[in-house]
Amino acid sequence: MKVRFFVLWLIVGVPLLWGLSKTVQNALKLFQ
Amino acid sequence: MSFLDRQNTVAPPGYNRFLVPPAALAVHLSIGQAYAFSTFNLPLSKLIGLTKSAPDDWTLLQLGWVFSIAILFLGLSAAVFGRWVESAGPRKAMFVAALCFGGGFMVSAVGIAQHQLWLLYLGYGALGGCGLGIGYISPVSTLIKWFPDRPGMATGLAIMGFGGGALIAAPMSVALMDHFKTATSNGVLQTFIVMGIAYFIYMSIGAMTVRVPADDWKPAGWVAPVKPMKLVTNAHVEVNTAFGTRQFWLLWGVLCMNVTAGIGVLSQASPMIQEMFSGRVSAAAGASFVGLLSLFNMGGRIFWASTSDYIGRRNTYMVFFLLGIVLYFSVPTIGRLGSIPAFVIAFGIILSMYGGGFATIPAYLRDIFGTMHVGAIHGRLLTAWSAAGVLGPLLVNYIRQSQIEHGVPKAQAYSVTMYIMCALLFIGFLCNLLMHPVDSRHHFKSDAAAAGARRSAS
Repeated sequence: MKVRFFVLWLIVGVPLLWGLSKTVQNALKLFQ
Repeated sequence: MSFLDRQNTVAPPGYNRFLVPPAALAVHLSIGQAYAFSTFNLPLSKLIGLTKSAPDDWTLLQLGWVFSIAILFLGLSAAVFGRWVESAGPRKAMFVAALCFGGGFMVSAVGIAQHQLWLLYLGYGALGGCGLGIGYISPVSTLIKWFPDRPGMATGLAIMGFGGGALIAAPMSVALMDHFKTATSNGVLQTFIVMGIAYFIYMSIGAMTVRVPADDWKPAGWVAPVKPMKLVTNAHVEVNTAFGTRQFWLLWGVLCMNVTAGIGVLSQASPMIQEMFSGRVSAAAGASFVGLLSLFNMGGRIFWASTSDYIGRRNTYMVFFLLGIVLYFSVPTIGRLGSIPAFVIAFGIILSMYGGGFATIPAYLRDIFGTMHVGAIHGRLLTAWSAAGVLGPLLVNYIRQSQIEHGVPKAQAYSVTMYIMCALLFIGFLCNLLMHPVDSRHHFKSDAAAAGARRSAS
């Protein structure tokens, strides 16, 4: 159950963090 | 295909309920791609000309209809299929949503290959739109049943995914188009095929892993409050009955006004900041501002929905409307003072409340109508979103244009719009203020209880 928990959250967490980082990178340009 | 049926998705005893939100997120992160569809507009308008639009290429105006049709079908399918989603269960509903959404990309890919625009309208617009609607509502009632102690946080988490979907889809679409680009193609066809397959698989993972709790399941150590808060019911209201109550239409007004105020700004955010701070904000910085607003939109969904578990749903919307009025009212002054950071913070908070409005409404519905048909009632309420999707941008664009035609400088052309947004939020505030519990005569009674009630009445 713990492995499943880890894998499922990884499957949704990794793409979300990748998208977040890309958006933050772009958003920071507003203040440059 | 019986493994898709509701009875085969009941979780065994001891099942970890925190395995369910990722399943919901897988669906919402996928369908949230809709907010990033504009990434395809320019490439689709240059399919023949490649570097610039050829006379036979589709125009941006024609392509704008693809997104509009998708949002229209989102509202319609959520309203029409809400009852079916409740009876079929989340796994079957999520799988159908995956078929529709992935299939929508595939039909659109055929349309791109054949250069037939109607196939994009039919594919991404109608079929994909049904995937959006069914996918959006399918995990809501399941999450509310798994988290009776924190319904706002649970649904907020899923609906946050819808906001986050665009953050993933926008850079992913650009990267894929770059990867597939050749001397004779801009790569959009291959991108549609890859995204169709990828979203189908990703949403299917969500469908296969979702579980519903057993009917008598409760979180360990949790006891339902004997005397709940004034606006929280332990009873249930059937979807058709709920549709005829004053409370449903008050909530429709609450959602519609909150969304109208936010969506109008969202649709014009980039030109608005460039025009209000003319010469100080470039087009690239305007696009960055839109990205920043998306972050606030997403963060607001989980923040405000979780907060509503502590301060109550009505109080949360009171904050949205009152704080929204103050912020919208101050925007023209901020523009005159020329403070870009204050402008960004004001609109960031406004957009967080826009997202928060979407994420908190399922828990508000559960408080008022109970859990029995909350998904189906939520589906019907989403027609408020469709209405706001037309009303918000129309108001902002029309009033801005009218102001400019009357000689108002572009930098000040948004002031009247901001004051009208204040008025809309005040209407929402009144709807929220008038909210009270549903009369017990509307409560669902099982056949036995109804017969008993009839006997005692006669």
